[in-house]
Amino acid sequence: MDLGLAGKKAILVGAARGIGYAVAEVLAREGCDIALTARSEDSVKDAVAELSKYGTRVVGKPANARQPDEYKAWIEWAIEELDGVDILVPFTSAGSGMGTEKYWYNAFELDLMGAVRAVEGVVPTMTEQGKGSIVLIATTSVLEAMGGPQPYNALKASLVTWGKQLALFHGKDGIRVNVVSPGPIEFEGGNWDMIKGTMEKFYNAQLRQQPMGRLGRPDEVAKAIVFLASEAASWCNGSHLVVDGGYTNRTHF
Amino acid sequence: MKRHVMGWDAAAMDVKRVVDVPRVDPETTGNGTPVEKAPDPELGTALIPAERYYSPEFMKLEWERVWTKVWLLGGRSDDIREPGDYICTDIGKESVLIVRQVDGSVRCFPNVCLHRGNRLRPEGRGNAENFKCMYHHWTYGLDGKLEHIPDICTFFQGGPPGMTATPLPCVEWNSFVWFSLDPEVEPFDDFIAPMRQHLEPYHPERMAWKRDITVEWDCNWKTSVDAFNETYHVQGIHPQLKWYLDDINVQIDCYGKHSRYLIPFAAISPRVAMPSQIPPAIHEIMVNAGMDPAEYEGRVSDIRRDVQLFKREHGAEQGKDYSELNDDQLTDDYHYLIFPNISVNVHADDIMLFRQRPHASDPNKMYYDIWMFELVPEGEEWPERVRHQRFRHGDKTIGQVLDQDAFNLPTVQQGMQSDHFPGLWIGDQELRIRHFHSALDDYIYGPGKKQPGDI
Repeated sequence: MDLGLAGKKAILVGAARGIGYAVAEVLAREGCDIALTARSEDSVKDAVAELSKYGTRVVGKPANARQPDEYKAWIEWAIEELDGVDILVPFTSAGSGMGTEKYWYNAFELDLMGAVRAVEGVVPTMTEQGKGSIVLIATTSVLEAMGGPQPYNALKASLVTWGKQLALFHGKDGIRVNVVSPGPIEFEGGNWDMIKGTMEKFYNAQLRQQPMGRLGRPDEVAKAIVFLASEAASWCNGSHLVVDGGYTNRTHF
Repeated sequence: MKRHVMGWDAAAMDVKRVVDVPRVDPETTGNGTPVEKAPDPELGTALIPAERYYSPEFMKLEWERVWTKVWLLGGRSDDIREPGDYICTDIGKESVLIVRQVDGSVRCFPNVCLHRGNRLRPEGRGNAENFKCMYHHWTYGLDGKLEHIPDICTFFQGGPPGMTATPLPCVEWNSFVWFSLDPEVEPFDDFIAPMRQHLEPYHPERMAWKRDITVEWDCNWKTSVDAFNETYHVQGIHPQLKWYLDDINVQIDCYGKHSRYLIPFAAISPRVAMPSQIPPAIHEIMVNAGMDPAEYEGRVSDIRRDVQLFKREHGAEQGKDYSELNDDQLTDDYHYLIFPNISVNVHADDIMLFRQRPHASDPNKMYYDIWMFELVPEGEEWPERVRHQRFRHGDKTIGQVLDQDAFNLPTVQQGMQSDHFPGLWIGDQELRIRHFHSALDDYIYGPGKKQPGDI
């Protein structure tokens, strides 16, 4: 199956590690040009250097998604560098945490507005082009209880709603919008790697809930994201794809 | 043969990252705790004979040449505030009474009646007007002098010499009481040097009891001392601490018979990848410092330094006077071994001290005293003294990290007695173990007099 990704231009926000980096890697292999960002200059440099081996154009520059002006300027820079944008996947997240009100603002800024600002930054160009594909990243924690009543869970849920409505609204412009909700994903330096090391019992309890007896890998989510981002998913719009190895208990009618 | 060069190459170890830990400049510490790296002693690479951990003969030598010769930690000054307050503490087959006098001084004497040898008091704390033996009511004053012998006229030979219990050396230092079983012991200042300058800046007198526990462990006291004398075991039995401290960039300093290591806390071990989220234990460090981790916008790798800066800025308003401590001390673990048996983790806000005592007769048993103290912020009420708890290993949890240490030790003790285990195969990360045993050798065999074949 041809994904039709060769020569496409992808903007990835928060793609220096984990699922974001895995998406960058799959896209680069498939022949996409990529503009990526993350908070840390070093990790952006490393990611760009590593991804360049696939022979497409890969550019990167650090940006702080909490700073609207800096972030918007980065999106503009990315579109200019790539000379257009076919794919957008924003991965920004404040991660988990609860206890003070500040966690709500963090989740609002990064999980929600990190996506909103990126989408608003690319929609004019995509509309002009008459095509584009956006994949928003939620989490299985929007579907089932995980880690307590966290801002992360609640604001990720808002992406599912907003993503569907974006899809309806921009279908006419040739822009598809889909949402992917990964379950627990483990990779070196990731949250579940730390949980395995620091909260072994909790980690093992999660493992027992996994039908396949393990957590997912970033590339296993990345391939689903890339599918939805690609031409191969031309009739997928407004969908919400749960990629969790069967982890969630609910039946997705 | 290649010459042994002490130390380690952090990049060549089982690490994922090479980390350069910022450390306080030794030039800036003034009269505070010294931070200079002490030159490493050349102690060779020989085995440490296993026999010394279980041999009754070696245990006897330790009793004669160490326990009855050194200064020993007896308790806390704030447990004997009022005249007549006393601490009764055991060491090996001996037991002593440490008593606050009417003039405010402290005295120490054996906890034994000179009549028929009965113990005057059970181990513990209390207040007494005098110490009356429960057997025949011989009565001793707070100073150990015999005040009354019932029917003394029936003792043709009179009372025991001087009508007094043997006075034992006793001093108070840095909120703790120390004693010695040796009336001729060296001056305390000579014994404790250079720990005054190292430990006084922490002001333990501003800290109150948090935990007071004695656990009977099935291992030799040195098995326990060794366990706390190296950071190499973190990657083995404390995997969770890799998201709490840096077990690679550890500074070891040996001083005479005492030693220490400095471990960066609120740091991520180079053995694991740098996480993007704040690990739970470091989150707790930040909360305890008064920071809101949700507000933190720096990188996880910057937290240690930012906690230091935050505590420096906000300590005073929290009633915590850090003025005599350097910045590293605001986060890091400065861990000392005060020879022979005190392992103490000192921190700006708390002290976690382990007193490791030999069993009276069995080299395969010991008593592990956990003494924890917490800084009482200025203006806050001094908390009630915690109750002393005593139990056998395994009966109760003593916290995740210490449980991990404790559960390992009985099997170490058993394994060391194997005919196929000649001795401890010690690496450079365990230099303090080698140094401790070398200091012990000096007491047992005389300085530098240990011979090949000696255990």
